[in-house]
Amino acid sequence: MKDLRLERDVQTETNKIEARKVQVYYGTNHALKDVDVDILDKTVTAFIGPSGCGKSTFLRCLNRMNDTVASAKVQGAITLDGEDIYDARVDPVQLRAKIGMVFQKPNPFPKSIYDNVAYGPKIHGLTRTKAELDEVVEACLRKAALWNEVKDRLQSPGTGLSGGQQQRLCIARAIATSPEVLLMDEPCSALDPIATAQVEELIDELRSQFSVVIVTHSMQQAARVSQRTAFFHLGNLVEYGETGAIFTNPKDPRTESYITGRIG
Amino acid sequence: MTDGSMTLAPMATPEPARLRHSLFAPDKRTAARNAQEARFRFYGLVAIVIALLALVWLLFSIFSAGLPAFRQTFVEIPVTLDAAVLDKAGHGDPAEMASVTTIGYGKLIGKALAAEIEAKGIDIGAMTPKDLVGMISENAAADLRDRVLADPKLLGTTVQFTALANGRIDGYFKGRVTMESAARDNNTSPEKLMLADKLVAAGVMDMRFNPGFLVMPDASDKRPEAAGLGVAIIGSLYMMAVVLCLALPIGVAASVYLEEFAPKNRWTDLIEVNIANLAAVPSIVYGILGLSFFINFAGLPQSAPIVGGLVLTLMTLPRIIIPTRAALKAVPPSIRDAALGVGASKLQTVTHHVLPLAMPGVLTGTIIGLAQALGETAPLLLIGMVAFVRDFPGAPLSGLFDPASALPVQIYNWTQRGDPGFVERASGAIIVLLVFLIIMNTAAIILRRRYERRW
Amino acid sequence: MNTDRHIASAFDRDLEGVQALVLKMAGLVEAALADAASALETRDEALAERVREGDAAIDLLEEQVNTECVRLIAIRAPAASDLRTVLTVMKIAASLERCGDYAKNLAKRSIVLAQMHTIEGAAGSIRRMARQVSLLLKDALDAFISRDVDLAHAVRQQDRDIDQMYSALFREFLTHMMEDPRNITACMHLHFIAKNIERVGDHATTIAEQVIYLATGDLPRDPRPKAESVTMGNL
Repeated sequence: MKDLRLERDVQTETNKIEARKVQVYYGTNHALKDVDVDILDKTVTAFIGPSGCGKSTFLRCLNRMNDTVASAKVQGAITLDGEDIYDARVDPVQLRAKIGMVFQKPNPFPKSIYDNVAYGPKIHGLTRTKAELDEVVEACLRKAALWNEVKDRLQSPGTGLSGGQQQRLCIARAIATSPEVLLMDEPCSALDPIATAQVEELIDELRSQFSVVIVTHSMQQAARVSQRTAFFHLGNLVEYGETGAIFTNPKDPRTESYITGRIG
Repeated sequence: MTDGSMTLAPMATPEPARLRHSLFAPDKRTAARNAQEARFRFYGLVAIVIALLALVWLLFSIFSAGLPAFRQTFVEIPVTLDAAVLDKAGHGDPAEMASVTTIGYGKLIGKALAAEIEAKGIDIGAMTPKDLVGMISENAAADLRDRVLADPKLLGTTVQFTALANGRIDGYFKGRVTMESAARDNNTSPEKLMLADKLVAAGVMDMRFNPGFLVMPDASDKRPEAAGLGVAIIGSLYMMAVVLCLALPIGVAASVYLEEFAPKNRWTDLIEVNIANLAAVPSIVYGILGLSFFINFAGLPQSAPIVGGLVLTLMTLPRIIIPTRAALKAVPPSIRDAALGVGASKLQTVTHHVLPLAMPGVLTGTIIGLAQALGETAPLLLIGMVAFVRDFPGAPLSGLFDPASALPVQIYNWTQRGDPGFVERASGAIIVLLVFLIIMNTAAIILRRRYERRW
Repeated sequence: MNTDRHIASAFDRDLEGVQALVLKMAGLVEAALADAASALETRDEALAERVREGDAAIDLLEEQVNTECVRLIAIRAPAASDLRTVLTVMKIAASLERCGDYAKNLAKRSIVLAQMHTIEGAAGSIRRMARQVSLLLKDALDAFISRDVDLAHAVRQQDRDIDQMYSALFREFLTHMMEDPRNITACMHLHFIAKNIERVGDHATTIAEQVIYLATGDLPRDPRPKAESVTMGNL
């Protein structure tokens, strides 16, 4: 009989990022233990788990933002398209242009909306002329579903926007360097439900071009936006699988306890 | 279904007896707390009033003592520059004319004053010509000599000469000298004061604004009326320029390195503690350092603004580094994350984002540091800036190595002098210093306001 | 099955509340079935009438279960086992409501049959079948309470016995009708009664399958064991 279940829209099965046996230490604290994850291309992957479970730590491993923390030590292998990102030859600056990041609190630069988006292309020399730069800025703001709201005030400060608009501006800024992977660290935790819905819709649209990895405290959000979900607990990757399966029938009792809101 | 609802039921603990009080009648504890609060407010108010009174009293005493320094008594007389006296050889050669000392000029001025008094028909009584010359500042002869040597063509003509009155005469008009004190004073006499009154009435003598106070160099002990702040102001400006050019870049660079680049380990902790301690080191210690290092070891000239500037730079550095680091620290880490997240390098992050955001704090710290340096006296005493300097330093940069004075040192110096006229000078100098400080602090506030950004 | 308590204790109370409602409903259904069967056997019209009237309470309970479940889903956003619990409760309630309807139908028909000529042995067979089905239903609900997958599987297997009893009764009624056409009306009623009881058995199987889904997250994949259908042509 034909499978009549609704189509689950994971479009590829190619791995964008492969993590093997990743360990992270903060000083003597073993923050992340033996994490193995394959992040699919053009897919939204959600990391969930209680505070301090290592999900943000792992996210920050993926674009080497942990390098900025002096006490952090990362072991194991993380590859982007087969290239080890912790190889000595990799310049983290270049890596971060490929793996963009959006943070928990909307953090636009205290500059104009235009400059916020144009900053990445400028420092990476992605455009040659002002007209080209204008195009990139417009394209990114359109992709971030912000263009119509700000096109008449590109020169006004980015910090003057509402929280949701600021976060979308940050997303526009992150995609302006045309990254291949977009990391989002609780991007909606500071937003109201409407702005959250807008950002979630945006994430779903961005999925056609990027691989998106999102850390979230809201399990409902993970359920809504992601196709793959990974559950972290006490530095371990407990369960990783198709989002629907995780939320209806998790295999691990710790996952079950966490997503059903029990004391785990 | 386990039976959890039972444990959730409220425990039957005895509640403290709760009496129903009216909200309109405050209970004892509330009344006591309110009274405490009222007392605390009152103490605070008293403290503010005391502080304000102290400030008012300070300003009043400084201004009442110092404002007269900006006004000076002048005597305006026509002086015939007798060529026979001033240029005996008659060649009009300035080199030869220079051999005539101020005594010769003094006689000419005395003669001119006597003639003027006679022309106005004023009775001088028993006063001798020497007494008459004593009415005028000893500096007048020097001024006249400078004027003639600068322009030898004046020889033989009669010029309108504005001479400073003697400090005692000036003091009489400012209330510092009275008839009684003059009677006991062998530098002046009641007769001179009475004559001065008459000269004022005749329009020969008058009191007016004295720009010389701001531009003239210091004068010797006997001539408070001629003393000015010119050398001190230039010396202070030179030093501030040196401090600004050295302390700002060094301080900011050090702060940025420590805050953004340096690894956090025992060494940087040690450096941090030491910087904090350096800010607390008494400034005179920096003077000793300057003396032993810059003058004795490096062989830089004494009394030079460059040495003062270097010493003040050392002293100001921690005071710039500490607020600059605080300003850098106050930049939210989210901005750094944002910049790093789009792939900016560490240096780009700092120069494009962190430093501009920290700029108001940096500028404020710098200006406050400069203001402190401007008012610093102790280290300058040790490197010889307290010397009596009458010659203006040259133009920068070589002028930085010429001897000069500084505002606070000049104030200190004047308060050490015997003549009461210098008390007024010192207070006037304090006013000038205060004005400079207020200007700098205002600049700090304006800069902070202008560049302050919300994020 | 996760037996830890929720951080939000009200969530626990709500979940327990809907399950208690559904169990109460099951009790009513079992009683209605037993009463209806006994009314048929003893020709007790008053009892049959009471069963008919009692169905309204079952319907009301089902409505309450639905309302509570919808509310719980809306407010608590249950996930995983909680979500499965709520869905299972709703499905069990629907099944039980149907079972209640069948009991009511049985009672209605027993009132009609009370006016007719007795069919020898039929009432007793039906009561036995009804008792068997009641046991099955009870087992299914026990499995639900204890999340007992094995018991649920057993219930699925046992439904075959009910099917066989129905087949036997069907043949019996057919014989009666062929013997004496005056029996046809009564036998038709009795046949519908038997068919309805057999359907209660199917519902018990559905409940058991829901219990398996609830406990494992998956419905049983293997086809339900069926007795050879007698009504489908092999006569």
